[in-house]
Amino acid sequence: MDAIRTENLTKKYNLGWRRGRLLALDRLNLQVRPGEVYGLLGPNGSGKSTALKLILDLVAPTAGGAWIFGVPCDRVVSRLHVGFLPENPYFYRYLTAVETLEFYGKLCGMGGTPLRRRIDELLELVGLAGARDRRLAGYSKGMLQRIGLAQAMIHDPQLLLLDEPTAGVDPIGSRDIRDLVLRLKHLGKTVLLSSHLLAQVQDVCDRIGVLNLGRLILEGEVGQLIKDQRRLNITVQDLPEAGRARVEQAVRAAGGTVVSVDHPETTLEALFLDALKKDSRGAGDHD
Amino acid sequence: MRGKLIAALVVVLPAWAMLPLENRIHAENVALRYGTTQVTGGLRDRIGQGMAIALLAGFRGVVADFVWIQSHTFWEKREWLRQYDDMEVATILQPQSVMFWDLGAWHMAWNIGYAVSVDPANRTKAEGIKREREWWDKAREFLRRGIENNPNRYDLYFAMGWLYQVKYQDWCRAEEYYAKAIAFPDAPSYLPRIHARALEKCGDAIGAYQYWKGLWLQDHRTVHQPWGIVAREGKRLEDLLKIPYNQRVFPMDPARRPGASE
Amino acid sequence: MTEPASPVVIPRPAGSEWVGFSPGRVAAIARNTFTEAVRQKVFNILLVFALVVIATASLFAEFSFSEQLKFVKDFCLGTITVFGTLIAIVGTAQLLPNEVEHRTIYTILAKPVRRFEFLLGKYTGSVLLIFMSLVMMTLMFSAALVYKEQRLIASAREDAAGMSAPDLQQEIGQIQAATFDPDLVKALLLIFVKLALLAAITLLVSTFSTSMVFNVTVAFMILVAGHLVGTARDMWADNRLAVWLLGIIPDLGSFNIADDIILGNAIPWAHVAKVVLYGMVYLVCTVAGAHFIFSDREI
Repeated sequence: MDAIRTENLTKKYNLGWRRGRLLALDRLNLQVRPGEVYGLLGPNGSGKSTALKLILDLVAPTAGGAWIFGVPCDRVVSRLHVGFLPENPYFYRYLTAVETLEFYGKLCGMGGTPLRRRIDELLELVGLAGARDRRLAGYSKGMLQRIGLAQAMIHDPQLLLLDEPTAGVDPIGSRDIRDLVLRLKHLGKTVLLSSHLLAQVQDVCDRIGVLNLGRLILEGEVGQLIKDQRRLNITVQDLPEAGRARVEQAVRAAGGTVVSVDHPETTLEALFLDALKKDSRGAGDHD
Repeated sequence: MRGKLIAALVVVLPAWAMLPLENRIHAENVALRYGTTQVTGGLRDRIGQGMAIALLAGFRGVVADFVWIQSHTFWEKREWLRQYDDMEVATILQPQSVMFWDLGAWHMAWNIGYAVSVDPANRTKAEGIKREREWWDKAREFLRRGIENNPNRYDLYFAMGWLYQVKYQDWCRAEEYYAKAIAFPDAPSYLPRIHARALEKCGDAIGAYQYWKGLWLQDHRTVHQPWGIVAREGKRLEDLLKIPYNQRVFPMDPARRPGASE
Repeated sequence: MTEPASPVVIPRPAGSEWVGFSPGRVAAIARNTFTEAVRQKVFNILLVFALVVIATASLFAEFSFSEQLKFVKDFCLGTITVFGTLIAIVGTAQLLPNEVEHRTIYTILAKPVRRFEFLLGKYTGSVLLIFMSLVMMTLMFSAALVYKEQRLIASAREDAAGMSAPDLQQEIGQIQAATFDPDLVKALLLIFVKLALLAAITLLVSTFSTSMVFNVTVAFMILVAGHLVGTARDMWADNRLAVWLLGIIPDLGSFNIADDIILGNAIPWAHVAKVVLYGMVYLVCTVAGAHFIFSDREI
């Protein structure tokens, strides 16, 4: 059984009688397998958020349907095993982190000691244990994102829907979220995340789907898609200059073309994190 | 769209179904003599736009109180006619406020009446008396209307009786109204005593004596009366009416008991 | 990619699970709504009420005791009505728009929460807020009455020089009876039902509009209309169409018995019960109407 299945899922918005209808999602056929991390990509306005809202029954489809673990999405019970992190989450500013998680836990039917333990666990996991009794009004964006993740996971759902989980978050926070998603995958959870930050998605997702103007234009395994099958990278170390010329010659002799010869680069992100780690004040409370 | 249509039905149909109940409540309102006050043009002019709105919003008591307090400031400024006007408006707004009728009449007969009688602008003493009587008459008319609106309260009958007794010195008319007042169960306990005195002053000493006697013969442990006063009045009437000693009920002075040694 | 270390768990088929209506969820949302209002210092408005109470209790010393008591009761109950109405309408008008604007509603409805539970929870929280406000205002009002009563009794004793003891007792008894008329409870009960109804009406309006200003304006218009229904009914009794149209609007004037209670008019419980029933039916239908609109609404 698929974790998520959509069949010709379509959504048209009425823009008023003069301006006609906006086709936000056009016959989306999607299958997210249990245990995988699926990235739904696309520019702003491509229908990613609409797709998530349709799956969560926040809006009704114009046509087609969606199922979560085999249950139709218009039934409340379909959301028993789903956790959702919306884009730019806000939450109740006047509640503390603990009160927020307590509230969401109660909505999921939890209570008492199991709930309290779970709250402690989650606050530890998302790194907010130190700010647990501070009102959310005093939280930074990164902290709100993390409490958002915590509330999405409060009832230990099998499926997580994350809408732009790293938007507006600094690199350290992004990395933490990425690590968390990988950890969830490790625990056997299914994750559907939507994003327009491609580099961050690349490390995490098993499969991706690309939406544009409401249509799925590309889908497949990340590994397969991004590999350029025609080219080959061979990284060598301690090769003298003379040897380099001979290698290039060997390539040409074998019928290939030397496209480029260069020193490999690290990423700016890795450099940044490395520098911070080396600086003794870089650790501790992130925000 | 479907949801909105169902919502409309769910709100409107029961509202219509409840019209009989709504009418019943309204009828009970009217029967119990409260409910909406018509804001006629005349009334609105007398109380002003802001107060008219407050009135429509259901703050009748507050508006009446404001008007009443305003009448009080007119009293302090000695603008009698304005005071009278406002007191009248207050009673129009809350005709069932016994307090407005009672205090209004009191202001007219006692305060305004006295003030106009000693007004230096009076050319003669007779003019002063005449003006004072006019205000007594206004008070009497005021109380009459008050009683019309509140026939089941003792207060205004008593007030009318007191007006007749103190101002007009008409003990018999006063007695008539006291009799009506004491018929109500919540009349204060001093009222029957006042009625008895008025009865005597009107000429019916026997009736007064019967009253005092009836009072004295009640159980002194359960009924609370100033027994000293009762005894004094009863004894006085026994002497006045020359009741035979063997029929008297009131304690006599030990010194004056027949057969006592002097 | 690496294989997951734990086996993938697929939840049991839905046939064996059921998410029924949960009063617990409604209570959680209600408590949250109430906490929000309290922490946003809605109760500060009650400080203003306290000032009004203190003012009415201390002024008017030059009037007679019956006048003073009438003023205190009229002004305090009037202010309770005004502030209660503000809390009911303004407090409720922002509930749904705030949730939608701050997108907190997404996180809630993404949980296994029925839309009706959400709506009922918000409404219950609002009613709870109204109730607590009324309780606090009533306590302050009672304190003012106690204060007035003590002052009046003290001054009655002072002026009691020529009066006999039973007469003085009776006067004190009169002061006490006039101050704490138990029928004031009836007036407060109807004020509460009326405010709960106003909150329900505001909720209904807010289910199809996201502008708080619009919600508040329309709710106040209905409040005004509700007070005019009584007069209008008498004027247009012959016009059947008018009667049917007016019939939709609740007759809010029938909830205003405070004036008459203060005047000492006897209002039987039977009548009060009818008005409460009337209000409750309207209330339930209005909330139901709100539910039907809200369940179709796209977030």
